[in-house]
Amino acid sequence: MKKVVLSLSSLMLAAGLAGCGNDSSSGTSGETKEGSSNEEITLRVAWWGGQPRHDYTMKVIEMYEKEHPNVNIEAEFANWDDYWKKLAPMAAANQLPDIIQMDTAYLSQYGEKGQLEDLTPYTKDGTINVENIDETTLKGGNIGDKMYGFNMGSNVLSVITNDDMLKQAGVELNSENWTWDDFEKAAIDVQKATGKYGTNPMNPPDVFFPYYLRTQGERFYKEDGTGLAYKDDQLFVDFFERQVRLIKAEAFPTPDVSAQVKGLEDDFIVKGNAAMTWNYSNQYLGFAQLTDAPLTLNLPPEQAENKALFLRPSMFFSVPKSSQHKEEAAKFIDFFTNDVEANKLIKGDRGVPVSSEIIDALKPELTEDELKIFEYVESASETASPADPPDPLGSAEVMKALKDISDQILFEKISPEEGAKKFRKQADEILSRNA
Amino acid sequence: MKLRPAGENLAGYAFISPFIIGFLAFTIIPMIVSLYLSFTSYDLFSAPQWVGLANYVEMFTGDEKYWTTIKVTFTYVLAGVPLRLTFALIVAMLLNRASRMVGVYRTLFYLPSIIGGSVAVAIMWRNIFGNEGTINQILFFMGIDQKIYWYQEPTSALWTLILLSVWQFGSSMLIFLAGLKNISPEYYEAASVDGANPFQKFFKITLPLLSPIIFFNLVMQTISAFMTFTPAYIISKGEGGPLDGTLLYSLYLFQKAFNFFQMGYASAMAWVMLLIVGLLTLILFKTSKYWVHYESKEG
Amino acid sequence: MKALQETPQAEPRQLRIDKPKFNWKKWLYHLVTGAFALLMLYPILWLLMSSFKESSQVFVTAHSLIPDPFIISNYAQGWEGIAGQSFGTFIKNSLIIVGFSTIGAVISSSLIAYGFARISFKGKAFWFACMMVSMMLPHEVVMIPQYIIFAKIGWLNSFLPIIVPQFFGHAFFIFLMVQFIRNIPIELDEAARIDGCGRFGIFYKVILPLIVPAMATAAIFSFYWKWEDLINPVLYLNSPEKYPVSLALKLFLDSETASNWGAMFAMSVVSLLPVVLIFFLFQRYIVEGISTSGLK
Repeated sequence: MKKVVLSLSSLMLAAGLAGCGNDSSSGTSGETKEGSSNEEITLRVAWWGGQPRHDYTMKVIEMYEKEHPNVNIEAEFANWDDYWKKLAPMAAANQLPDIIQMDTAYLSQYGEKGQLEDLTPYTKDGTINVENIDETTLKGGNIGDKMYGFNMGSNVLSVITNDDMLKQAGVELNSENWTWDDFEKAAIDVQKATGKYGTNPMNPPDVFFPYYLRTQGERFYKEDGTGLAYKDDQLFVDFFERQVRLIKAEAFPTPDVSAQVKGLEDDFIVKGNAAMTWNYSNQYLGFAQLTDAPLTLNLPPEQAENKALFLRPSMFFSVPKSSQHKEEAAKFIDFFTNDVEANKLIKGDRGVPVSSEIIDALKPELTEDELKIFEYVESASETASPADPPDPLGSAEVMKALKDISDQILFEKISPEEGAKKFRKQADEILSRNA
Repeated sequence: MKLRPAGENLAGYAFISPFIIGFLAFTIIPMIVSLYLSFTSYDLFSAPQWVGLANYVEMFTGDEKYWTTIKVTFTYVLAGVPLRLTFALIVAMLLNRASRMVGVYRTLFYLPSIIGGSVAVAIMWRNIFGNEGTINQILFFMGIDQKIYWYQEPTSALWTLILLSVWQFGSSMLIFLAGLKNISPEYYEAASVDGANPFQKFFKITLPLLSPIIFFNLVMQTISAFMTFTPAYIISKGEGGPLDGTLLYSLYLFQKAFNFFQMGYASAMAWVMLLIVGLLTLILFKTSKYWVHYESKEG
Repeated sequence: MKALQETPQAEPRQLRIDKPKFNWKKWLYHLVTGAFALLMLYPILWLLMSSFKESSQVFVTAHSLIPDPFIISNYAQGWEGIAGQSFGTFIKNSLIIVGFSTIGAVISSSLIAYGFARISFKGKAFWFACMMVSMMLPHEVVMIPQYIIFAKIGWLNSFLPIIVPQFFGHAFFIFLMVQFIRNIPIELDEAARIDGCGRFGIFYKVILPLIVPAMATAAIFSFYWKWEDLINPVLYLNSPEKYPVSLALKLFLDSETASNWGAMFAMSVVSLLPVVLIFFLFQRYIVEGISTSGLK
């Protein structure tokens, strides 16, 4: 019986895994090979996002179709949650679209498991023009020497402040060289003066704890992803003890309060409930649109000494191995990256563009708030060091473990010391599978 | 009662043939595949690898969270299902009368159930139980300056989910209503002639005659409560927090399958769930002959 | 004391209407039921009122039901839809999917239910168990193999994987109707058989009219479940012009940028209308069950 079941099910899976590509419903003209540019082809392009992104991306696609009359593009978009639900079965059935928007969190899962094409050859032969892209930025989507994702833009960590509230509390930030202690004191001062939170909750911890480690000259994951890089658990303890102190001073929201935030619209900084907020630079635009309070983008504490800041790839475009039109897909990525008119629509929505030429061309077109983000990323890149490699396999589990333990610490169910040990044990267990 | 058994077989299969075809075409193979996968390590992208009972062993001996999720799920089912059904039955009785307004009432009471799993309901619910939410405002208005932090403790957070399921009692109510309508008024008339009071009528007529429907609701609500996913997912943003307080079984299973790409483990979890739910259903069916009364014995 | 005062007041009425205490009870009934309904409805009202608020105000003024300013532009904006697809398209898609699914599910389920409830045949218990078990396996683990099957048949990016399975019966409805049929006295079948009805004749002429309430219930559920179904459209529909309402509503939202909450709420309200309408129409059949089933 077991044998029958076994062979039946492996047959099923094999059927799924082996070339369904041809009966793809997208109407790809099966036999078409790459290259000859006059043949009618259909490219499927998939991305996640909200309404503005869907709207302008469709316009960019129309521009592309006008320039390449033989290419018909089918757009497939959804919001973040639904997007990943869609993608997994597609991958299992060899039905991935020709171009997929990819996130660092999933890049190694899809890349290392043989789903994605190495794009390096296309950057070498000029199909994707990379002349104006900085080497480190370009390699943001590399795993080893394989480019599984083409970097679409950069974000940088920042502390966005509500200057009215800071003034009220008499806090003056010297964001060039402030320390973690300065940050803590500022948060408590704000709480005392205004009764509001000093800062937002630095959530999720998998973004901010690694940054803290970088300020101490340490890293979160080992380069090869087989374990945690930092050795000293005291770093973990220090990071979370500060948060516990802030919570006791009511200057930092407990996890249940932050879980109640439903969107940008009721974020702490937007509602005037916190004077400082830790975020990636791209979120500044949303905040600025939603609140009248004067906001500033500040470099986070202690970034200078150990070159802690880095340019984080906002997202990638990837081309799956199963695609029948890899070269055409690469051409589309080139257009998206290097076409000035297209980028006048895209602006900073997918992070600050990677091409310096595009950045220069866009600057006159930007609103004041958009320009602030571009300038912030520019100034940060001067002191930044290379970003950590994309998250290793199993990172989703590690991130969840860190979040769980962080919650337990902040709800004061366990001490930071216990948390540090617990986290190391769990993370090592998960990551050791990569060895 | 059994006439022409040969013809009976043919007729029986003719009537249920749509089910059998659909079952063979769309259901049985995926079920077998998932059973097979439960004995493998499968990350969706590379070929599954046979690991024997490892997933099951890990589940019962190595995975702390697994027991948390079992506890959470059983609390949710054992508290939620009886509350919801009682509530649904009371409202159904209330609406089971001839009045011009009744159609409107029925719609009003059903409304909460049709905004079901939408994003809107998650937002509302967090709004009602939030620290600055409606409930705390009402408390404040009543002079109680003591806020309830629903989402700070795992238990109270789970109760917001249970309350949500009770609030959406519409589907069970509707089925009760349909059942109540099928009870012939003559029974009640006869009972009135005998001088029965409303309580006697309820226990001697309504409950026995409604028992097949109560049985149905109990079975189906239990099954679906064990499978509940959407409310927990949208209200806790897929996390199951705080401190895993709302980590329902399906939610954990989903995390394993699609966030952590451990489809083998998830499949094993699914089959354990099937055994648990199957066993409970079997018990319900076995006990049903003591309390469920059908008008017609099996034909 | 109160009761004493009220009784004499009720007396004169009794003389006029000739139904002692009836009105008093009736008013109490409406008071209790109505108040209760309103309590249940608060969240719905919140949804409705939020659809008249500006997107940025929805959460800032979450505690207040009254929109200030009161705007209706959310509806116009939402109806324009997303990335060139009007919201009308999404509603049309939903109606097609839901319409066919509901018809398929109700008809096939009633046939199957009759087979299970009234005919004794070999292997019945087995198939019934199969049906129950098929409901107990979480969808997450059968979804990938199912997806591969539909990919093999070439049904991806069409409504077929969502609609067609409904024509093979829906376990919930089958079981529901089985329970209703088993509550119908067998004597009716036998009377019909004596009159010369065959199996199908009994089903069509005797059973079907008697399970109208159950069928109406199934229709209401099927309509609503398919209307809000998200996972199947997410899996099987790729092109935005084929998206149903449930999927489209989520396109308004994004966690990284400002979301169009106003439009989302407005279109949520619009998308509730067909479901409410269907409910209101079909619930009457549940009521009318009383006259037909009274014929025992």
